[in-house]
Amino acid sequence: MSERLERGLGVLRAEMDKKVMSFFSSCVRCGVCAESCLFYTETNDPRYTPIYKTEPMRKLWMNEYSFWGKLKSALGISESLTEADLADWEELVYDGCSMCGRCSMVCPLGVDISMVIFKVKHALAVAGFSPEGLVGATQRAVDIGSPMGITMTTVNAMIKHVEEDTGLKIPMDVEGAEYMALLSSNEIALYPEYLESLAKIFDHAGISWTLSSDAFEATNSGLQIGNKKIAGQLVQRVVDGAEKLKVKTVISPECGHAYTALRWEGPNFIGKAYPFRVVHILELLDELTTKGILKTTGIETDRLTFHDPCSIVRRGGIQSQPRNLLAPITENFVEMTDHGSMNWCCGGGGGVSSNERAEALKLTVFNRKKSQIEELEVDAVVTACSNCRMVMEDGLESNELDIPVLGLTEMIAEHLAPKTAG
Amino acid sequence: MIHRESDVRIPTLLLLMCMLFLQFQVHAADPPPPPGMVSTVPGAELWRKVRQRDGKSTDGISQVKGVDAGILINTQGDRWARFRINKLSPYGSIALAVVFLVIVLFFVLRGKIGIDGGLSGRMVHRFSDYERIVHWTLAIVFIFLAITGLILLLGRPLLIPLLGKEAFSLLASAGKEGHNLFGPIFLISLLMMLFSFVRRNIYEKGDLTWLLKGGGFIGEGHVSGGFFNMGEKTWYWIVILIGLLISISGLVLVMPNFGQSRIIMEISHVLHVLGAVVLIAVSIGHMYLGSFGTEGTAEGMKTGYVDINWVEAHHDRWAKECHEKNLVISAEEYARILGKKAESGELLATEQEQGK
Amino acid sequence: MIKSLIDGPLWYFSLAVFCIGVLWQLARIVFTAGKTDLSVARGSAGSGAWRNIFTRFLPRKEIAPQIGIQIVAGYMFHLGLFALLFFAAPHVLFLEEHILGFGWTAMPHWAFIVASQFAFLGLIILWLRRMLNSVGRLISTLDDHIAAILTFIVMLTGCFALLKGFSELRLLHRFTVELLLIYFPFSCLMHAFTFIPSRAFTGAWFGRRGIDA
Repeated sequence: MSERLERGLGVLRAEMDKKVMSFFSSCVRCGVCAESCLFYTETNDPRYTPIYKTEPMRKLWMNEYSFWGKLKSALGISESLTEADLADWEELVYDGCSMCGRCSMVCPLGVDISMVIFKVKHALAVAGFSPEGLVGATQRAVDIGSPMGITMTTVNAMIKHVEEDTGLKIPMDVEGAEYMALLSSNEIALYPEYLESLAKIFDHAGISWTLSSDAFEATNSGLQIGNKKIAGQLVQRVVDGAEKLKVKTVISPECGHAYTALRWEGPNFIGKAYPFRVVHILELLDELTTKGILKTTGIETDRLTFHDPCSIVRRGGIQSQPRNLLAPITENFVEMTDHGSMNWCCGGGGGVSSNERAEALKLTVFNRKKSQIEELEVDAVVTACSNCRMVMEDGLESNELDIPVLGLTEMIAEHLAPKTAG
Repeated sequence: MIHRESDVRIPTLLLLMCMLFLQFQVHAADPPPPPGMVSTVPGAELWRKVRQRDGKSTDGISQVKGVDAGILINTQGDRWARFRINKLSPYGSIALAVVFLVIVLFFVLRGKIGIDGGLSGRMVHRFSDYERIVHWTLAIVFIFLAITGLILLLGRPLLIPLLGKEAFSLLASAGKEGHNLFGPIFLISLLMMLFSFVRRNIYEKGDLTWLLKGGGFIGEGHVSGGFFNMGEKTWYWIVILIGLLISISGLVLVMPNFGQSRIIMEISHVLHVLGAVVLIAVSIGHMYLGSFGTEGTAEGMKTGYVDINWVEAHHDRWAKECHEKNLVISAEEYARILGKKAESGELLATEQEQGK
Repeated sequence: MIKSLIDGPLWYFSLAVFCIGVLWQLARIVFTAGKTDLSVARGSAGSGAWRNIFTRFLPRKEIAPQIGIQIVAGYMFHLGLFALLFFAAPHVLFLEEHILGFGWTAMPHWAFIVASQFAFLGLIILWLRRMLNSVGRLISTLDDHIAAILTFIVMLTGCFALLKGFSELRLLHRFTVELLLIYFPFSCLMHAFTFIPSRAFTGAWFGRRGIDA
């Protein structure tokens, strides 16, 4: 047995917890999950059936944890997992799954399929079966601190621009600030509006906040590639940065997987609870609006819809907040079919958008989102995840559709009521 | 626990009646006494009436309320039973055996009906999942009913001599319960078949040519056809119409608590058996043609896709439509839809090319 | 000889395999290590678990049109089988006399027949879908086919034995039931029990995150 296979099997064995045991014991291969999966419905390729993507884990369970597997290995006729099995599944879990979790919503047996797929991904990553694009991004994240290779120099340049544009000071490394904001790579490279909006919003609300020069990057390539150890290292940087500045709350940016990595999986990756609170920017905005600290004005007359980012809504539980925020500033807001926790993924989550090899497949599965958007005949799409935003912009452009995609935080910043003197 | 078993008891009674009447046959064959002759046997007049020897049905008076309760001995039933034993069951089995032999002969003489140029590997979608499920549900239920039905029909001429009475009674009891229980399932799957396939099975222009050319089984070459050709359409209507006949007559037999008289039950039974024999006979032909009788047909009911060359050969009018609407997919695409990996897909394609 | 084996030792053996097997499988799930989630919960895991156990009996409306066959046939089979298993007169009587010591009102005979027809049709359709749909074919394992066919045979022998005149037919039914009982704990038939922990774990996870599922 090769060493890399052994490493992969080691991960699969370590991940075989009570949940996985009950999942495989209850799965009856009904195939309902296929119909929930973007990659199956848009390609008709049965290999993209969610539960099929967990096959390496199921085989291990069958071989080592089931009666028949034990009997077979006692008789010396067991068909054990091979390196080829792992190699064959690389394309399925990295290119053909955006970790959107829609399958986990529909399984009649309650199997959290996407969780098991993540475990398979973890094993493949450790065994060294990951797409080049993601390996490179992860390497840069570990070495440089950002998957896009963004350094503090780039961030400083952006800050300078933002400060010039807004006339507001971007606080950097302020000890004892109430909030510490993070940025995703996309927000630094493509959407500097986000930082601009943060500056305006915090200025409006009169709340102390800061960026950290040690921990500005929220993107977690470790999560995307599925390597829990690296994911933990990257989370630890944020934790260290927050602890150093003694902030009360860390704000996860408009980026789906960053929120998952930081808010939900982070403490498990690093093996301890945080001494601070983590909120998603939408949660914070909703909180501040409800408390009356944040006041908006003006109404968008355009026909708008909201794309629910999977990691934030379906897997993150932030569903009502974006609607609460949009309601007072829109008059022509429409929901997509299957909106909310059953919304269709843009197709670029789970590292698919950082995986050049998956480009063609990503565009194929975008057809679902495209038809959802077209059906509504909207003027613009609002979302709250820089990755969704990028994928949708690319997709709409490839389909020659001139529909802008907007960030929700940015919209709120544009609708801030003038500060009342007080 | 008290069960209401009347619905299953009556067919058993019918069976028992057959056996009883077998013993009465000698008496039943007695010639009636010449008119005017005074019988010396006491009660002869009474028995003549009871046995309805003058051809008239005589209703007696009975405390028992119910259809036919006033009839002591059902002479008509006697005739029915003899018809069943002497005609239906031997001739039915002979008919089935003949059909089977004809098909074997046909296969020997004609062989597998191939396709000019062989299969191309390029496919067209023909039947949806639902349509195939309907087909196979009907098929499974039909085969089960055919087997259990034949057990009941062929008991006396074939199975009792073969197995002995003990074993046959066991088999017959099991078969009858199974048959009665699956009957209504057949009707439901038949209705599913009716609704999902009816639109494409309506006869249209060009179907007659198919018939005039003997469906291509006689002579050389294939005959023109649409999505379904004339032969398939006819098979469809045989299934639907005879299927409905069998289902309705079966329900009459299995649910005697709706006040139908014995004569209706007897007619239902005869129609049930005749319909079943015809349907089984034709279905043997269908199974043959659908499987090893013609090249490339079975695929349509397995994966739902058929080879475009097969379509050209048997359904040229539909083939034209497939080309026009660009519905033909490559061998690689077909392999992908079946969930075969790219490598094996290529393998499949080359295999098919070599086969060509 | 065969009769006393089926009615005696084999029956007790299969019952023991079933009970111990099922308990063992459930115990393994319960006692296998699970990880404590260190993130701060937004909602209640417990209520999420309970809710999920029940809500997953119904398909989500967003996906229902695509899985019509599984929904209709699935309900037909499971409800039919449930009714047969627990409310068929011979079964109620058997449970009362041999296992529980008490009984309950059984279904009338016509309901029994209808329930079994539902169950048969549902099972046939579900199995055919597995065989005919490309996803079904790809993901199905030998176990799925054995389980489906074994269940079918048990139901069929049960209906063969409907006319209670032949003890051989009753024995045949009982024998197939014994095979099913022995096979049960080592197969996907375990889903009849493990759907509960499976739904509960996922529901708890959703509950913690405050996801409306």
